[in-house]
Amino acid sequence: MFQKILIANRGEVALRVQRACRELGIPSVAVHSTADAAAMHVRLADESVCIGPPPARESYLNTAAILSAATITGADAIHPGYGFLSENAEFAEMVEAHGLTFIGPSPAHIRMMGDKIEAKRVMAAHGVPLVPGSTEALTDAAKARKLASELGYPVLIKAAAGGGGRGMQVARNAGELDERLVLARAEALAGFGNDAVYLEKYLDRPRHIELQILADEEGRVVHLGERDCSLQRRHQKLLEEAGSPALTPAERDRLGARVTAALGKIGYRNAGTLEFLYQDGEFAFIEMNTRLQVEHPVSEMITGIDVVREQIRIAAGQKLGYGQADIRFTGHAIECRVNAENPVSFAPSPGRVAAYHPPGGLGVRVDSALYAGSVVTPYYDSLVAKLIVHAPERTEAIARLAPAIDELAVIGIETTLPLFHRIAESADFRAGRYNVHWLERFVAGTA
Amino acid sequence: MSGLPFDPEVIRALAALLKETGLTEIEVAEKEGRIRVARQPAAPASLTVAAPAAATSSAADPAPAGVPTSPIEDAANHPGAVKSPMVGVVYLAPEPGAAPFVALGQEVEAGQTLLLIEAMKTFNQIKAPKTGRLARILVQSGTPVEYGEPLMILE
Repeated sequence: MFQKILIANRGEVALRVQRACRELGIPSVAVHSTADAAAMHVRLADESVCIGPPPARESYLNTAAILSAATITGADAIHPGYGFLSENAEFAEMVEAHGLTFIGPSPAHIRMMGDKIEAKRVMAAHGVPLVPGSTEALTDAAKARKLASELGYPVLIKAAAGGGGRGMQVARNAGELDERLVLARAEALAGFGNDAVYLEKYLDRPRHIELQILADEEGRVVHLGERDCSLQRRHQKLLEEAGSPALTPAERDRLGARVTAALGKIGYRNAGTLEFLYQDGEFAFIEMNTRLQVEHPVSEMITGIDVVREQIRIAAGQKLGYGQADIRFTGHAIECRVNAENPVSFAPSPGRVAAYHPPGGLGVRVDSALYAGSVVTPYYDSLVAKLIVHAPERTEAIARLAPAIDELAVIGIETTLPLFHRIAESADFRAGRYNVHWLERFVAGTA
Repeated sequence: MSGLPFDPEVIRALAALLKETGLTEIEVAEKEGRIRVARQPAAPASLTVAAPAAATSSAADPAPAGVPTSPIEDAANHPGAVKSPMVGVVYLAPEPGAAPFVALGQEVEAGQTLLLIEAMKTFNQIKAPKTGRLARILVQSGTPVEYGEPLMILE
């Protein structure tokens, strides 16, 4: 097992990883920018190293500073959290070149799934259903037009090096396709340094359903069930549920079996999430995230499995020690991503948190680095807390959610809590009646 | 005149009594019922920062008011402090056994190499940001430093 783990991240996930390290009895190193010097995980850290000024590029994305911090503290493993360098294959390679263990999948798999076209090709070759679309990058406008008319409009133009909802353009007809292609390529180049784009059929009312998997060094792959992440605004998830109100256990098992078989064949290891669009009873693979995800807690609540701890154990060469048949799905979990934003305009609201009170009780979990006196800075993303509830049934989970939202007090900054209060009360949400477009319509309905 | 179930004059009188005496709450019970009048104290309760104690990393704790600041904080706030621009290991001499780049009390010029920081097997020269006299050396050769850590003080 590792002697010391460096946590290359910040905020709530740094605290999350630190907790897992603590449970395993492994000392950890917190790296931080000057803006995060008083962050909770830094205060609780066994050791901390300031790695740069506030901008992420000079701190949390600063490979040299992070590797240097690992060297001077004698860390033998690095957990990258999510975001930042967690899906940077070059960083993973450099970690390994320095004789440290990168807690995550291999650089080769990070690279494979980071190229969205390649990811689809590999998944299709192993029997995972796809969204109909192009199997290679589009270089030719004429070819694009031909494919688009075969698929049927509307079509979605996506950046091969994109992901996470970024770098996408919809073309509703042949007239729009040419100009949207040019636009998409320019945005892809600017955003990801790579202008390769591909086409997919545009699904008009899908749900976003993803599957959490774990795989160990010996090739054993299990899934921790699905998460329904359809409640999104501008392609950013705001609320997630485990399991999906739209799936039956049989559908989950069927999808899970196909996915774990495919990942076993490609030799994937550590944690990962496969994202699908689900419409009319059909699953369509869109991309795979080769890292821990923000919403992992809901899967933890329904399975009782600590995903971060498993990541560490797997990276240290330990066997999972259990198979799919040993995993029980119990109850229903919901997570709200509380952002430091105005709940109507979504304008960022950085500032000093004068008072903070988290809710508690059976089946109520809050993952947050906030504390009274902490400062939410403008340099990083606006997620400040994840409120998670778990109960035996979905209706009970929702009944547990609403009071917990109201009890969670963050004074001094604006947060999106009032929006979650309204979502929890809405008839559509209570009925599980939503798709990826629902939240934007819900939000616009009050504007 | 009022349709209220109580006499508003009683409330007014009780409120005036609160103000006059500085009390925050009065409750009066009679056969007909009970009235309780309460008010918030003028000054809100002060919020204590409820952060859990950190067992180590004392350097990261903000100094409570009235406690003298630590030498590290004094140095970091000194206008002539030369702070580390990177994470790495400090070396005060160009190589083991050689004379250090600079000595205490020495007059250094802007741009003059003061020390090396080794990071990722690369040695980086750290130069004086301004001309001045080397008043303090805060680090030892072979020790690690973090970003922003004060290395030397020029006056």
